[in-house]
Amino acid sequence: MAAKMPGHEKTYLSLEKASRLLSYGFLIVLAATFLLPLYWMIVGSFKLQSVTMAIPPEFIPTSPTLENWNRLFGGPWPVWQWVVNSIIISALTVVLVLVISSMAGYGFAKKKFPGSKVLFFILMLTMFLPNQVMLIPLFLLVRSLHLTDTALGTYFAMAMPLIPSPFGIFMVKQFASSLPDELLDAAQIDGVTEWQAFTEIVLPLIKPALAALAIFTFNQSWNYFMWHMVIASDKFQYTVPVGVSIMSRTPAFGKMITDIGLTMAGGSFGAFFMIVFFIAFQQYFVKGITFGAVKG
Amino acid sequence: MAVKISNHDHPSIIGKHFANRISIVTRTRQLLKEVRKGLPGYLFIAPGYIVFLAFTLVPILFAIQLSFYETSFNISARQFVGFDQYIQLTQDPIFATALLNTIKYTLIIVPTTIVIALFVALLIDPLGQRAQGFFRGAFYIPGVAGGVVLSIVFLWIFNPTYGLLNYLLGGFGIQPVTWLASAPYSFYAVCTVVLTFTIGQPIILFQAGLAGISQDIIDAATVDGANFAQKALFVRIPLLRPVLLFVFATQLIQVFQLWEVIYMLTGGGPYNTSTSLVYLIFQRAFIGSNYGIASAMGVVLMLIIMVFTIFQLKFWDTESV
Repeated sequence: MAAKMPGHEKTYLSLEKASRLLSYGFLIVLAATFLLPLYWMIVGSFKLQSVTMAIPPEFIPTSPTLENWNRLFGGPWPVWQWVVNSIIISALTVVLVLVISSMAGYGFAKKKFPGSKVLFFILMLTMFLPNQVMLIPLFLLVRSLHLTDTALGTYFAMAMPLIPSPFGIFMVKQFASSLPDELLDAAQIDGVTEWQAFTEIVLPLIKPALAALAIFTFNQSWNYFMWHMVIASDKFQYTVPVGVSIMSRTPAFGKMITDIGLTMAGGSFGAFFMIVFFIAFQQYFVKGITFGAVKG
Repeated sequence: MAVKISNHDHPSIIGKHFANRISIVTRTRQLLKEVRKGLPGYLFIAPGYIVFLAFTLVPILFAIQLSFYETSFNISARQFVGFDQYIQLTQDPIFATALLNTIKYTLIIVPTTIVIALFVALLIDPLGQRAQGFFRGAFYIPGVAGGVVLSIVFLWIFNPTYGLLNYLLGGFGIQPVTWLASAPYSFYAVCTVVLTFTIGQPIILFQAGLAGISQDIIDAATVDGANFAQKALFVRIPLLRPVLLFVFATQLIQVFQLWEVIYMLTGGGPYNTSTSLVYLIFQRAFIGSNYGIASAMGVVLMLIIMVFTIFQLKFWDTESV
């Protein structure tokens, strides 16, 4: 066909080229629109208060200043403490979720025991329940146990609601189900204990699922805003999102106005860590998101 | 011929009773044996299930119980009031507004998200791998930054006197709007912010779904002379149906729990026109210390979301993995 009509082939190709160019242009404009707020925030962090309130606004700052960043790092807000808090809480959550989910997911996938279907179904039912419902009793629990009196207790309290991860168990179960039974049977014949079979055979094989789960959980824990805000009682206990949000609501200059430059520096600082994290682990993010929804 | 006598041959009443008893005993015995044999299974799920009971299931049950009690900050002084608080909710105009707003948010944000995400995914799909990765990342990054951080910059963008939005709209001759302090603008302001960070996830899902469609089918449509729009509408989107349903369900569940943008931008105002169910629960529980009524609202929310969840689980059972 193509050999008979070379002209047709040519126009078809250039048409395709043109439509590709068009979709590139459209995508770039749309992506820029969605990224504009983040750009505006970062640029704003390099502007003086008078410039932030100027009309017309400066799209590219003519005289960028580091003043806001100096005040962010040298001011009364312990911003690095917030980063440390967020990292500790997220890491603690990730470790506990991985241990618990890999064990339970494997158990549900490969072990036969009465009641396993019912127990799994109950887990699945709660997977999408609104967190806010259980946060009230958990808050009362944390309060009555005085967990927030110590730093360690506060960290644990902040991690608490996300530790039981029905999604994690579901994810590992699906992944572990695909492991061949013969492999585990062979191990049993070789006289390997149940625990060894799990740690030495199963865990290495489900690593990809665990990596995606770790990334997903870290992000989820980092942005678990309502709970962190409810638990944190002083500025040294804040996590990054709580800290920057409270900072943005604090009036400045002795008036009822916001210190826009400082707030934008805080917001950029808060966004920085998760964005770097995302760029570093993009493929795992994608895996975690598409898991369960798209085959392959 | 010898006559065999056994329970099977003589189904008398006594024999039947006896047989039943035997079967119950043997069944129990068998179950115990299976339980004993299943011990490793129980041990593997034990840590997960204990934590799940302690930090999820028991709290949910306690919340249901709390919804029948009138409470104050001192939780031990609670008083049983039966269904009173649920009856109160039906007569509470703020609760009605919050519920209605939540439904309105969902009806606006979810379809808009899906349409834009689908369109972007269809455009991204034919591009090379690196371009795909770039655009996927670009649209997902606002979501990674999170609703709180985005709200911080939108507070500035929406400012009536020195905000970017009024300046840009002024270029089209549109008069300045007090976005966050007047109805119905505050409601749409919240929608806009939410849209900027809900869009990334569906794009990734749609794109993965589109990548799974066999190229032969698309080529066949191309040979038949179908253009981009025709291929999208009649070939690719119908084949994407399972992913579409999944995105619809997850977005519904997510947007139904919308609150942080409201907390950051409008505080639910003006006059509760932008409040949502979860924001109201947050206010009543953690600002007003009215745990009982907040729990009752939570139970209502839970029942609504349960319906969505069952829908989603059904889909997971039949269509995936």
